[in-house]
Formats: sequence, C-alpha cells, structure tokens
Amino acid sequence: MNQLLRFLIVILPILIVVFFAKVLLVDEEIKFANFEAKNFPAFQMNDLSGNPVKAESLDGIKLVNVWASWCVTCLVEHPFLTKLSKNDIEIIGLNYKDADSKANAWLQKHGNPYLFSIYDPRGDLAFDLGVTGAPESYLLINNKVIGHIQGEMNQIKWETAFLPLIEKAKQGS
Amino acid sequence: MIGEISHFLSLSAVLLLSLILIFNLFFSLNKFHPNQLMLSMRLFNQACWLVFISFGMYVYLAISDDFSIAYIASHSNSQLPIFYKVTSIWSAHEGSMFLWIVFLTAWSILFVNSLDKNHPLKKLTLLMLSLIILGFLLFLLLTSNPFERILPFGAIEGADINPILQDPALAIHPPMLYLGYVGFVISFSFITAYLLKGDFELQWEQDIKNWSFVAWIFLTIGIALGSWWAYYELGWGGYWFWDPVENVALMPWLAATAFMHSLFASSKSNVLKTWTMFLGILIFVLSLFGAFIVRSGIIDSVHSFATDPERGLYLLSFSGLITLLALSIFAYRLPDLNSSKLVVSGSKESFLSMNNILMITGIFSIFLGVTYPLIIESMSGEKVSIGPPYYNTIFSPLILIAAIFIMISVDALWQRSMSLKALFISVTAPTLLSLLFLYLIWRATAVFSILAYIGIFSGFLILFSYLFRMINNFFNKKYINKGSAVAHIGLGLLFFAVSMNSILSYEKNLNLAPGESISVNESLQEFSFKDIRVFKASNHDVISADISFLHDGREISLSPQKRKYATRGQITSESAIHTSVLKDSYLTIGDQLENGSWTFSLKINYFIKWIWFSAALMVSGMLLTIFKKKVL
Amino acid sequence: MKIKKLLVAIYFFSLSTPVFNQTVYEFEDSLQEKRFYELISEIRCPKCTSGSIASSDAPVSRDLKSKVYQLVLDGSTDEEIKQYVSERFGDFSDYRPPLKGFNYFLWFGPFIFLVLISAIFFIKRRI
Repeated sequence: MNQLLRFLIVILPILIVVFFAKVLLVDEEIKFANFEAKNFPAFQMNDLSGNPVKAESLDGIKLVNVWASWCVTCLVEHPFLTKLSKNDIEIIGLNYKDADSKANAWLQKHGNPYLFSIYDPRGDLAFDLGVTGAPESYLLINNKVIGHIQGEMNQIKWETAFLPLIEKAKQGS
Repeated sequence: MIGEISHFLSLSAVLLLSLILIFNLFFSLNKFHPNQLMLSMRLFNQACWLVFISFGMYVYLAISDDFSIAYIASHSNSQLPIFYKVTSIWSAHEGSMFLWIVFLTAWSILFVNSLDKNHPLKKLTLLMLSLIILGFLLFLLLTSNPFERILPFGAIEGADINPILQDPALAIHPPMLYLGYVGFVISFSFITAYLLKGDFELQWEQDIKNWSFVAWIFLTIGIALGSWWAYYELGWGGYWFWDPVENVALMPWLAATAFMHSLFASSKSNVLKTWTMFLGILIFVLSLFGAFIVRSGIIDSVHSFATDPERGLYLLSFSGLITLLALSIFAYRLPDLNSSKLVVSGSKESFLSMNNILMITGIFSIFLGVTYPLIIESMSGEKVSIGPPYYNTIFSPLILIAAIFIMISVDALWQRSMSLKALFISVTAPTLLSLLFLYLIWRATAVFSILAYIGIFSGFLILFSYLFRMINNFFNKKYINKGSAVAHIGLGLLFFAVSMNSILSYEKNLNLAPGESISVNESLQEFSFKDIRVFKASNHDVISADISFLHDGREISLSPQKRKYATRGQITSESAIHTSVLKDSYLTIGDQLENGSWTFSLKINYFIKWIWFSAALMVSGMLLTIFKKKVL
Repeated sequence: MKIKKLLVAIYFFSLSTPVFNQTVYEFEDSLQEKRFYELISEIRCPKCTSGSIASSDAPVSRDLKSKVYQLVLDGSTDEEIKQYVSERFGDFSDYRPPLKGFNYFLWFGPFIFLVLISAIFFIKRRI
C-alpha cells in the first residue's frame, strides 16, 4: 500500500505535466477539424439581388462565409477570399444582420468573391446555423456542414482545417 | 538609460543566484564549510535587493511615462493618475510576473534572514528559494521581458489600460493575491529542505506556522477582493463564476486551509505529520499550477493573459521540475515519516484528518472540472463546458459534511474518542434548531432548491453549534478558542449567505421612456425613469439615467451610467448599487430602442453584504489566532 | 436639449432591437420566469471565452436569450430548449454536461475519490 502511494505521488505529477505539454503543442486550428457533421438548415430566403435562393445551389463543395458591411474584420479576410474564389473555390456569402443597400454598396466598393449572398437581415438562418458573429466560415459538402471556423478566414486556417476535409471529400467521390 | 540599468540589475540577480547554486551544489560534495553559508546568505540578500531596486526603477519608468518601453507603452498613458500608472504595471502578463517575483523575493529574504544562523535547515531552504526565484527570473527575462524597447523611436503616447481595470479594488487585488500565492513558497521550501536533510528529530512546524497564517490571510483577502470587484464592476450582479482562474485561486486556498488545520494536529499531538507536510508542499504546487493555467492560454477564461506556447512550456517544465523535486523527496522519505501513533477514531485528530480528506476532495473536484474539457477535447475533439451547475452540485454535499464535522469536532478531544454522550449533546440541539429554521425559511419564501437548502442547513449547523458554545462559555466558563470560533462562524455565515442569495435573488428587465413610471409587482412599485443626463468626465463621455423606485416600501434612487472612453473608444456600463443590510438593488442600463425608450436590468441580490462580512470574519479569526499569545 | 441627448445616445449605440412591452421578459407565472433565468445562466455564450448568456451582451447572446424566452412561453421543457440550442451551437452550449459516456467520470469522480481516500486512511490510520 505504502509503495503504491509513493509511486503514485511521483507518477501522477509526471503524467499531468506530460498531458499539458501535449495539449500546449497541439495546434489550435487543427482542433476545428473534428466536427460533427450536420445538415445545413432548411431555409427560404432571397439573395442580395432579391431572387429566391434554391437549395440545390448549395450542393457540392461550398464555402459559406458570414459577412456584413458593418463588420470590420471582414475587410481583413476579404483579399484572401478573393484569392480563393479565383482558385476555383465556390464561396457563398451569408449577409448577416445588414441592410441590402449597404451590403450591395460594400460589394461594389470592395469586390465580390461570392457566387451570390444569402440576405439574412434578421439573422434567422444564421441563428439556425449557429453563427456567433461575423466573420465566420462554414465548409459545406453536399449540403452537410462539416467544418466551422470562427473569426476571419486566412491561409493557415484554410490549410489546416478546411483543405484536408476537401481533399478527403474529393477522394471519397 | 534607467530601463537598461533596471534590466541589468535583474540580470545581475540571475547571476548571483546562479552563483549560490553553483557554489553550494559543487561544494556540498565536500565537507561543510562554515563560511560558505554566510557567503551564500550575502549573495542571496544582494540578489534580492537587486530585484527590489530593479522593480523600483521600473515603477519610476512607468510614472515618468517612458513609452520607449514596449510594455509601458501598451498598458499605460500619460493622462492616467499616478496611482493607475503604477498599477498598470501589473495589468498584464510581463509586469504582473515581475510583481510576482518581487513578492517571492520579499517573502524569501524575510524568512531566510529570520532563521537563526545555525539553524540546520537554513542552507537547504536558501538553496530551494534561490532555485525558485532564479527559475522565475529566467522565465521573466527570457520569455516575458518587461524591459523590451520599441526601437528606434519609442511611442509618443501610451495605449491606455482597459477602463475596466482603472479601479482601486482591481488595483489591489493582484498584489494581495500574489502575496498569498507566493507566501506559501516558504512552507514549500522549508518542508522540502526538512525532507532533504533527513533529520527527523527536528521540529519544523513552529518555524513556518505564522508565516503560513499570514500568507493565508493575504490569499483570502485577494480572493475576496476579486469577488467583490467582479460584483460591483462587471454588471451582472454575480460574485463567483467558477471561472478557471477563480478556481485555480480557490485550490491553493483549500489546501492552505487544510494545511493550517493539519498543522494544529501535527504540532499539538504529533500525528498527521505526513499529511501536513504533503499539504505544505501542495499549496505552492497549486499556486504554480495556477500561474501556468492563467499565463499559458491553455484554458478559455475571461482572465487569460498570454497565448504563447513558449511561455506555457517554460512554466510547465519549471513548475514540473520543482514539484517533482519536492514530491520525490517526500515519497522517498515516506517510510521514515510514518508516526508510531495510531489515530484514534472519534478523536480530534481523526476529525482533522477527515477534514483534510474533504479539502483534498474539493481540490480534486475543481482540478477535474478545470481539466476535464481539455482531456475530452484531446481525446475526441468534443468540447465540453463546465461551470456553476457542476461545481455547485459537487460542493453542496462536501460543505454539508464539513459543517457536520465542524459541529461535532470542536468539542472532540485529543487522542481520545469522543464519548457518545458528548457527541449527542453537541449534535442534537443545533441539528434540531437548524431543521426548524430551515422549515421556517421554506414557509416564508416558498422556494425550494435542494442544493441551496443543503447550504443553508450547513450554515445553520455551524452557526447554532457556536451559539451554544458561546452560551456555554458565558455561563459555564467553558473554554472556547476565540480565533477559531470567529473564523468558523464566518464560514457558517458564508454558507448561509451564499445559499440564501441563490434562492431569494431575482431579476427584472424593464423598458421605459424618460418620464415614464411602472409598477411591476407588490414588491417593486413606481419604477420611474426620472431623467437622462449627458455629460463629460475626465477621459470619458457619460450617459446617466436617474431612476427611483419603491422596493418593499422603501424609496431607492440610483443613477446607472454608460461610458465611452476617449482613448480606445470602449463603451462600458457602470451599474448603480444601493446596499442595505439584507439586500442590494443592482441597476444596469441596457440599450436605447428605436422608439427612444431604454431597457434596464434590475437585480435584487439578497445577503450580499453578509458574504463580504463573512470573509472579514474569517480573516479576523485568523488574526486573533496569530496575535492570541501576544495579547495574553 | 432633448435632441442633443437623443443624438448622443444614437452616437453611442446603433443597435436596433425589437420593441418589447414594459417588462422586457414578461411571463405568465413566476415559475416560468424562474425557469427562464435559470436556463440562461446554464447556457454558455457561444462567442465569449467563458460565461453564460445571462452575463453576456454579445449580439448572439441577446438572440439566444430572446429565443429561450420565446421557447419558454411556447411551453417547451428545459430539456427541449437545451436540445434546441445544442443543435445549433454545439454540445458545449450546456454548462450541465449530460450524463453519458465519459461524463460519468466527471459527475461521480469526486465521490469515488472521496471514498477511495477515506478508505486508504481508515486502513492505514497512521499518517
């Protein structure tokens, strides 16, 4: 009994230290790769041009990006999104709690990387999606949400979190 | 220039401390040199003074607005009052680490010099303390350097500290807390020295007793201040959130409380020595763990400082190293430490050891709660949230058991079982009265919550048992330990107040335009939005709402504010609080709506003052204990 | 003067929130009210580093509070409401981890620990 106790008193701190070292060293972005897939919520909404959005337009591999004209950080990620859109990544915008006039003006001014943007002035679809603010990005594969990044999208997050998932999906099909 | 000198002084301290370790570890292979200790002490004292002067210069740099120092530029501002220029030093990681080291050094120099020059443990204690201070100084200078300059030109103006941090309570909270945290380096080092020496005839409890008591007082005050500040500043009327950083302060506190009780047994009656030693080491280990958690960014918390893995890894390795050093020697000596006496069941010692077990369980629960999300996330990537629902559920039965023990054990005898008759007497009356009053409360409030009622019952048990003891003391002159009585009554009051607060407090969210008045229910009448004023203050613009209402017939006027700070454009909400003995009325402005009306959040918090009073009682009890002999 | 006040106020905030009647969260009975306040203290703010939606003013927290309010009025049970929130914001929205899988260790761990340590002490009775 005594021997066991003595052993434990020394071993437990070592195990705890090793555990924390491991946690510290794991890259935070990779944590987002483990995500329970769920269906993209059903919706009936228009895009920024006033036309109804069809559910099929979300098929395939899509990046859904939550943005707004009042969102400052969205400007920060904008160049990266533009780059992605030029590299055959299909991006769909989710215009969050915004006025359509302001949103359209923003796109005119800064450029439009989106195939189209869903107009969600009250944030209803965003709420069902679990959006916590702007900017935020979701990876959709065949209408299933399989990745979620809070904050701005950038090269590091894209490469460590979303790209592997896209590769895996492409291999699957 | 001064910045460079200050930096140089800290580096010199590193050198001196390293020299101490090199000389002693090298020469201890040979026989003991009588002058070596004196030399080491001189080096140590000099190193400590270098740290103090270095910090003093740093304070000067902050006061004189030297914005070429990166840290001062990002946390201070020339418009700040001098008091806040100084306190801005510990508003973030590097500066607060510097403060931590200053306190570590202060405790160490005082303690080591208080030991008689021939004290057998003096050298080893000195070495332990040197090692610890050295490790932290290196951490500061290598990974978190407060002396870094902005080159080639310094900043013209500082960035200003977060307005939330410009507050007197928040300014003293870290110093108090750190004094408590690092104060236990004394017990840690001394006990480790004792174990390393291996001379088990030595008495060690007396030398560190008062030092530990004082450290406990600082820790208690530090935690209470943090809680008090959170209550009146954060705007939610809450005082404890079981946030990870609050938790890592609570763990050493529980260990320290257990340690002191255990010290009592081990010095009076020569039992529980092993427990006491383990606890004495554990407290500082938990402080180190706390420093690691807060500064490594590993856990999501509103308090978190750094997010640099390099810092986390250094702290982890260094803390792990000295923890392992202390615990290994403890484990190694364990067979020699076991006392020959058996603990008699039903004796005072048995209750004290059961108390230790309870406290350790409390510490374990908090540790589990804090690390569980990390464990699950590293295993399955799943995220779990642990907060008040978990901790309240776990701690409720623990405090009930603690209350029962306090009720029974104060009359227990050393080394003899308590007679059943004595047990019966000490238990019956308080239990019956507690049940009665609990019933009365249920009738009066018509609210039932199992966890809260356990808490109220626990509080009553302690309070009533002390009531009877005080009566006994007054009429029959039966001895009562005053310090312990005051502290325990404080604890009972805490249980009672916290639980009552949780069942009675309520919140109302209201929406009014200026000039309007509404009555909500029989308690809350004529809530009137009298006026809204806009004005400028020193570094912020203010919107102030003048409100008055009748609560239970009493008229209360409050003026909550919204402020916009010039430098960072930050908007904060200043709640207005009206305190009375039984309850606080806590009013916060929400937002203005499109139709010009404003939302308000009114929280009626019961027994809040009693919570602060109970902390004061616990500290007073401890002070009575420390000064008891001198008074007599 | 009044216009100035209004202008300053608008300068401060440009939020548009739906207009409630005078008690912002109006309930049919005090039990509903109590349930509401308890629920919002047990639902984690999805955006904050820590804390419940009760103690958060973030836009998503306000939305969640409104939604919980509606659901309570509609008669949903606590379970259903938490389920609703978890579906959208993830399982960690609940500050009360459900009793399944590893969570048994979490909820019963302290008790098992207490029993174990007490057992060790009673057997040894020396330290």
